[in-house]
Amino acid sequence: MNAISVQNIQKAFGGKMALKDVSFEIPKGEIFGFLGPSGSGKTTLLKILTAQLEVTDGHAAVMEMPARMMQKTAQKRRFGILTDNSGLYERLSIEENLDVFRRLYDLPKSSIDQVLHFVNLNADRKKRVSVLSKGMRQRVTLACAIIHEPELLFLDEPTSALDPVNTAHIHKGLRYLNERGTTIFLTTHDMTEAETLCERVAILHKGEIRAIGTPDELKKTHRDGTLTVELTSGEKERLSMNEDSAAAVAGWMSRGQIDRMYTNELSLGDIFIKLTGSELV
Amino acid sequence: MNVSLKRIQAIFIKDYKEFSRNYAVSIMIAFPIVLALLYRTEAGDQTAIYAFVMNFSLAMLTSYVQACLIAEEKERNTLRSLMMTPASMLDVLIGKSALVFLISAAALAITTYLFGYDTSNVMLLTAALGISILLYTAIGTICGLYSKTLLEASLSVFPVLIIFTAGPFALAFEERYPFLEVLRYLPSSQLSELLVAMEVGAAAGELATPLVIISVWTVVLTIISFILYNKRLMDQ
Repeated sequence: MNAISVQNIQKAFGGKMALKDVSFEIPKGEIFGFLGPSGSGKTTLLKILTAQLEVTDGHAAVMEMPARMMQKTAQKRRFGILTDNSGLYERLSIEENLDVFRRLYDLPKSSIDQVLHFVNLNADRKKRVSVLSKGMRQRVTLACAIIHEPELLFLDEPTSALDPVNTAHIHKGLRYLNERGTTIFLTTHDMTEAETLCERVAILHKGEIRAIGTPDELKKTHRDGTLTVELTSGEKERLSMNEDSAAAVAGWMSRGQIDRMYTNELSLGDIFIKLTGSELV
Repeated sequence: MNVSLKRIQAIFIKDYKEFSRNYAVSIMIAFPIVLALLYRTEAGDQTAIYAFVMNFSLAMLTSYVQACLIAEEKERNTLRSLMMTPASMLDVLIGKSALVFLISAAALAITTYLFGYDTSNVMLLTAALGISILLYTAIGTICGLYSKTLLEASLSVFPVLIIFTAGPFALAFEERYPFLEVLRYLPSSQLSELLVAMEVGAAAGELATPLVIISVWTVVLTIISFILYNKRLMDQ
């Protein structure tokens, strides 16, 4: 069963195509990452999936229903969303902000305690949002998005403003949510985040999907095909994968001269540059 | 129709807290009260002055506060966040409008008391002011939805203030400039006419006409505000 199914969608703004023939499926329970630079179409796609935009052509389904149905009250309870535009009520405290969402979702008061623990803000619950750091705001916004424990969570750069400690805390929490059945659709610039958190990723560039698969699959598909051998003498040899190299390695091994040996895999960032010719910025 | 009292209450409480802590907006409650205190000792046509105070207060308090509440939500992207929750368009608009309605009703009641305005038909006055509050709330919603920032919203209310408050006075030049007759159909002019008709003890038919015209304005502008809300929150 798919949480998200997108078939050949196109989105044009005026004469400019923001999404070109995009297709993918995300099974329920998966953490799926969309990688792409600013302007690649990530946010447009996210808006289509949450019924904030209509497609020009193609079909997008969320939880087995047309994406435009996500405007309905019953459907809105099923997903949560965090975007870089998500706002908070500046004059209210963290707790009061969460209380607004608790009431709108008709949840018990204990849901505030749970979600504050999740985002590590229990001690700061009485602080007004206007005095919070960017990272703390990000965590409050995330808390608002997950307070109702949605089936599907859309996250647009969820840890972009966070330090490594809080990023690790949020990642741990997202895995916990995922283990409890929440499907997570994540857009990110952060390659480490994509590799550590996502089961599959797609690389989006200029409105087109250039690659899709698990991080390991992408690395295998786009590997550079060389091997580095570090010898006990301190020398480092970079070899192509062929018979001559195999013979050389066998020789070094028989003489006990090999200290370390590893294949030269591309990182996701390298793969992105290879596929698009662009830096991830 | 998707309306939930719990969600309306959530929005009402949230807006009340925000409003009470936003002194730049909440200070507007003082406007009608100050006007009442300033004008209550004035000699002359008390009904016309009372009508001016009410019309000015409706624009400066009701429309201004509603426009600011909506525009601030837009500016800070909280309206978009609200839209992603189960809150429907009606929940949001009723929740916000209920707060502005209660604030305006309380302020206008105090203003009427301080002004010392005496009427023989309290029910009709209450109905006329109640419908007018709804009308000016809808105007505020439209101003707020058209504005991108709080500052823009503050400025957008001024044309409303000038046209609706000065309209009844401009009718004094109607004989010289016949086109000004159109101003007679402004809700503010109708409120003034209603107050005068009440004062002279006019027949029910004469009293009903201004009330019907104000009601038509209210229904039309409320529908426009709903349509605009839906349109503004859906990206193109």
